[in-house]
Amino acid sequence: MPARKLYFEAIRVGDELPALAKAPVDRVQLSRYAGASGDFNPVHVDELYAKSVGMPSVYAPGMLVMGMLGQLISDWARGGQMRRYNVRFIKMVWPGDTVVCKGRVSDRHGSGGRYFVEIDLWAENQKGELLMKGSSQIQLFYSLEDENRQRSGQSPIVVEVPRESLSNVNAAAPASATSAAPSEGSDEADERREGVTSKKTVPREKPAAKTATLPSAKKAKK
Amino acid sequence: MLDKNAIGRASPPTLNEVEKGAIRRFAEAIGDYNPIYYDEEYARASGYPTIIAPPTFPASFHSAADLRELLGVGIKSLLHAEQGFDYERPIFAGDRIYVSTRVSDVFERPGMSGKMDIAVIEDEGRDEEGNLVFRARRTLVVRAAKETP
Repeated sequence: MPARKLYFEAIRVGDELPALAKAPVDRVQLSRYAGASGDFNPVHVDELYAKSVGMPSVYAPGMLVMGMLGQLISDWARGGQMRRYNVRFIKMVWPGDTVVCKGRVSDRHGSGGRYFVEIDLWAENQKGELLMKGSSQIQLFYSLEDENRQRSGQSPIVVEVPRESLSNVNAAAPASATSAAPSEGSDEADERREGVTSKKTVPREKPAAKTATLPSAKKAKK
Repeated sequence: MLDKNAIGRASPPTLNEVEKGAIRRFAEAIGDYNPIYYDEEYARASGYPTIIAPPTFPASFHSAADLRELLGVGIKSLLHAEQGFDYERPIFAGDRIYVSTRVSDVFERPGMSGKMDIAVIEDEGRDEEGNLVFRARRTLVVRAAKETP
């Protein structure tokens, strides 16, 4: 049986994805990934070569770590469909390093019966150093009822949900932001810009506390 | 400075057949044991026609692209700075996907030690009917090989 699914109605901006701590990276994993991906760049699999080009050892390809962060998303967004996934590689991952994947919902919006959540993502090593930073957009059914309707060929449930920004939520309830996502220059500026524009979009679903029971589709504003 | 004329240069589409075994090995290499990548029955019960591939699976696709040819330079080293994917739909076992690669941008960016040459390479995957399945963008810091006299 498939695991429980995630529906749009259950998600709130600011929700944190359960952190995913991967097993320490080792050289066997680097070989496996090289074989599975077809990327046999020797800096990832050939210790002598890596040292000859000035590296302390082989290191993990960025795409392997992006795959781990992808697991965080897929584990959380069961039943959802990934629409977009972007990352920036920041720090190298060495054998023995543990990759810890984290994420937080930065926005949610829906229109015309299509519902999306935006997630900020990042990965850290065992020292808490930032390895990678990114974002993803996931499309979800509004609710189980919406999924059942669409799977039986009926029209989707339509609820207009304007974009909501993380900065707005933080302004309203600063206590809910317990661990801030690491952010750097340009991204931060972008978030702020979005925050400013979205403040004008007043009508939206009632913000709910993280653990509160969820409002039904009927309660949501049309 | 990379040659701006490289922008738009593309490789012809290359067929990639998505095999179940390849999906499994890819997911195993990541250490991701989500049954959606392994178990047909589970995938069907989850609403898919068959098992799907992990989001970064297109990294394993082949294309006819030779970056030296596309960029028109010898390459000393490449640093993968950013990666992005846009998905039209999940990739399923059994898919036949044609992947082509093009240079979508080249530019200079200030770096720690002078200017860096950046190339943005875009892969596009289409099914046999020509429908878009995914787009992938790699942002690479390119160190061109010094010309030998």
